[in-house]
Amino acid sequence: MTAVTQQQPLLEGRGVSKYFGGLAALSDVDFTVYPGEIMGLIGPNGSGKTTLFDCLSRVQDISKGQVFFKGEDITRKKPYQVAHLGLSRTFQIIRVYNKLTVIENLLLSQQWRNKGILKQLRPSGQQMEGRAKELTDFLLMSHVIKEKAGNLSGGQKRLLEIGMALMPDPDLILLDEATSGINPTLIETIKDRIRELNSKYNKTFLLIEHNIHFIGDLCDRVFVLDYGQKLAEGTPDEIMNNQAVIEAYFGADGDEGDDEYDE
Amino acid sequence: MVKFVQAWRKYRLGKWALALLILFLFLLPVPQFVAPEAKLVTNSLLFSLTQMFMLIILASDWNLIGGFTGYYDFGHAVFFGLGAYGTGVMMAQMGWAFVPALLIGAVVAAVFAILLGSATLRLRGAYFSIAMLGAFVAVREIIRVLRPITGGGSGLTLPPYLNRPLFYYVLLLFMIFVVWVIWWIRRSEFGYTLIAIREDEVGAEMRGINTTLHKIVVFTLAATFTGLVGGLWAYQNTFIDPDVVFFDSRTLDMVLATLLGGLGTVTGPVLGAVLIYWLRDVLWANFLQYHLIIQGLVLILIVLFLPEGVLGSFDPNSGTRIGGWVGKILREADGETEETANAAESVEAPV
Repeated sequence: MTAVTQQQPLLEGRGVSKYFGGLAALSDVDFTVYPGEIMGLIGPNGSGKTTLFDCLSRVQDISKGQVFFKGEDITRKKPYQVAHLGLSRTFQIIRVYNKLTVIENLLLSQQWRNKGILKQLRPSGQQMEGRAKELTDFLLMSHVIKEKAGNLSGGQKRLLEIGMALMPDPDLILLDEATSGINPTLIETIKDRIRELNSKYNKTFLLIEHNIHFIGDLCDRVFVLDYGQKLAEGTPDEIMNNQAVIEAYFGADGDEGDDEYDE
Repeated sequence: MVKFVQAWRKYRLGKWALALLILFLFLLPVPQFVAPEAKLVTNSLLFSLTQMFMLIILASDWNLIGGFTGYYDFGHAVFFGLGAYGTGVMMAQMGWAFVPALLIGAVVAAVFAILLGSATLRLRGAYFSIAMLGAFVAVREIIRVLRPITGGGSGLTLPPYLNRPLFYYVLLLFMIFVVWVIWWIRRSEFGYTLIAIREDEVGAEMRGINTTLHKIVVFTLAATFTGLVGGLWAYQNTFIDPDVVFFDSRTLDMVLATLLGGLGTVTGPVLGAVLIYWLRDVLWANFLQYHLIIQGLVLILIVLFLPEGVLGSFDPNSGTRIGGWVGKILREADGETEETANAAESVEAPV
């Protein structure tokens, strides 16, 4: 860990705040994500996790504070510009192009990187189909490649979304509850894939997750939000034993907390 | 039926049919030149077909923004009007020749599309539709008020030029060009981008697509084509005034043709425009007073019973009964070819 922390941060937030009218969804949140780490983001429902993701991918305006990605200020950039810089994400509520096939969904997620409209006038597909096929193999969905995304199961849609996030070869991937609604075997697959992407291809991850075991197994560091404020930060072990976190997340008496999320 | 599908695929009959149709349309006016007295092909038939080609182009344009991109433009005829007036003012007031005047008309429509689109394309769903409808009415009234330039309510008369076969050929070529461009867009990355915007605009933006730029580009392209049709129409009609040019149901015709044929397909608007035009011809001839009522009823019936349009209903994925039937035939056609392929293999295998 110490070796990692001496590096220049990949993503850095300074005093990030988001207000919806009088409601502070995020207030003065500071955080850093270093290249090559897997960072967890946890917190009770409504604590501002997804809002933070929305601010980072710039779907939501940041009310106050600054965000730096690769040393560049992205606080006022457009969502597509942030994507071009190498930040991709998945969504809590699945967003895939339902009427298009799996492979079209994948192709649509990367070809537009830094490319002018005139260059888009050639027929779609060819060059990147290789990469899209590799990804479907990697995510165990090569058998549904020609299927319309709308006909896939919830779990397959999640996998497809992860594939779409990986397609542009990003440096940082934000996963928003990537395991919700997915069966345990598939969760193991996703876990393996994330680990492999992290160790072999040096991809950095920031993941929102309610599955404590998933967090414990994967993450180097965990970051806790509560009522839009940063509650704690540390290794998974430190976080699990942090009294404030236990109270906020697992309810006042924390003994059985772990079991609650076992189901 | 299965045999037919297989033969169709094997000999690429679709391409041959299309080539024959185009050839036929090109040769159609020839009797007019060779033997005009015989009246095999009348000027009024050519005029009718020219109007139909215009409707095909207009519906295809509307489909670009409404069908591919998912922005239902209920005031798209504003670009028809601007093209018509751009051309008309240059010819009637400035004395320009037709071709440069037509180009001015197209430029006026394009520039207006960029300016208007930058504002209205930020709106989504019904808000965009209403804003465009508002723009349509506003531009009509502005033209009515700008009497010194546009002739106001009493309109403008363009130098008459009556050459039906020429207009026929110009519109035929233009129609083929527009449909070809749209076919090209549909299979290009640009076309897929538009569909991504239709399916999930926020997702598309976050996956690296500059959605605003794409919307404005396609909107301007559709507006330019529409403006050119407007200019051609003005010259052919030789008279323009706000009520004729900004005719209330002009946008409705485009929407109706696209919906009837199949939203978001290349051939749908073409088929829809042909059907609408034929239907209206029949209605005009037989039920002049009620034709708008019947046209309205047709729209309601389409939305109720053919929400995917005529072509869309034949799509095996549409979930309609016809679609299921088509899917079954296609699968059988696929299956039989596979079986025959397997049979061929098994024969070869022992050797």
